[in-house]
Amino acid sequence: MYVRIEGDSLSDSAKGISVACTTDEVFVRVVGRGTFQNSQPLRRFAMEMIEKGYRRFTVDVGACPNMDSTFLGVLAGIGLRLRQDGKPAAEVSVVSVSPRNLDLLQTLGLDRLFTVQTLETNGTPVSWPAGAAVERLPDSDIESLSKPLDKNETTDLMLDAHNSLVRADERNAPRFSGVTKFLRESVERGRSDKSK
Amino acid sequence: MKDFHIDREARGAIQLIKLSGSLDMYSFPRLESQLSGMFEQGLIRVVLDCRNLDYIGSAGLGALIGFAKQAREKGGDVKLLNVPERIYKIIELLGFTKVLQVHETEEAALGSFAS
Repeated sequence: MYVRIEGDSLSDSAKGISVACTTDEVFVRVVGRGTFQNSQPLRRFAMEMIEKGYRRFTVDVGACPNMDSTFLGVLAGIGLRLRQDGKPAAEVSVVSVSPRNLDLLQTLGLDRLFTVQTLETNGTPVSWPAGAAVERLPDSDIESLSKPLDKNETTDLMLDAHNSLVRADERNAPRFSGVTKFLRESVERGRSDKSK
Repeated sequence: MKDFHIDREARGAIQLIKLSGSLDMYSFPRLESQLSGMFEQGLIRVVLDCRNLDYIGSAGLGALIGFAKQAREKGGDVKLLNVPERIYKIIELLGFTKVLQVHETEEAALGSFAS
C-alpha cells in the first residue's frame, strides 16, 4: 500500500521515496539519504513494476545527499534484472546526480550500468509526469520508520545488494569482500537457527 | 551533511581516533588509508571514538571488521567507543557487535586492551 501525495511537484521536500508511473515508465524520487533502511520498499516496488512489464525507470537523486552501498546495490539489482530480461529499451536513468553521488556511481562502475545525468547535464529539475499519481513508498523515510527493521530480512537484502554490486562490476569484489563474507555467514547462521 | 573528520591521539600504545561527520563510501577511504598506514607502522591497538559520527555505512562497517581481524592476528584490535544510539541500533541489528567490541567509556575501551 502506498501513500498518495497531493499535487504533482517533484520538489516535494518531505523525506522518503516517492514514485509515479506512466504507461511505460516508472519515476522514482529520493528525498534524503538512500540507505539499507529504505532500500527494501524501493526493491519491492521496483520488482513489482518489472513484473508488471515496466522496463524504463528514472530515479531522481537531486535531493538525496548520499546513498550507501546497499541502496546503490538495490539500484544495481534493478538494472541487472532489466538487462537480464534482454528486452529492448530497458533502462535505468539516474538523474540530477550531484558531484558526490556521481563519484560514488563511478567508483562502483554503475555509471556503465545506468544512464547518468548530472545536475549540470539535466539543466532543470525533472518533473513528475503530467497527470500521474504520485505515491510515497511506506517506510521510506529513514528518520520515521514505523517499525524496527527485521534482522534476517535486512541481512538478506544487504547481501543481495552487495552481490549485485559485484555482478555489476567485478572490481567491487575486493571492496566488499569483508561485508559480503560477514553477511553471508550471518544469513547462514539465521537459516541454521530457523531450521532448529 | 557534516564533513568527515579524523583526529588521532596516542594514549600510550593505543591510538585513539576521533571520528566526526559521515563515514560512508565517499569518506571511508580516508579512514582506510589512516588505518593502513598505522598498521604498517605496527600501531595495531586502535579505538575509534564515534561520539560525533552521524552516520556509518554498511560497507564501512564491513571494512572495519576486516581491519579488526587483521589487527587481532597481530595481537591488536580495533574497538568502537561512544557509539551514538541510532548507529548502535544499526550495528547491533546487523550483528556487527558480535565481531566489533563496543565500549561506553574511554577508560573501558583503553582498559580492554590490557585484559
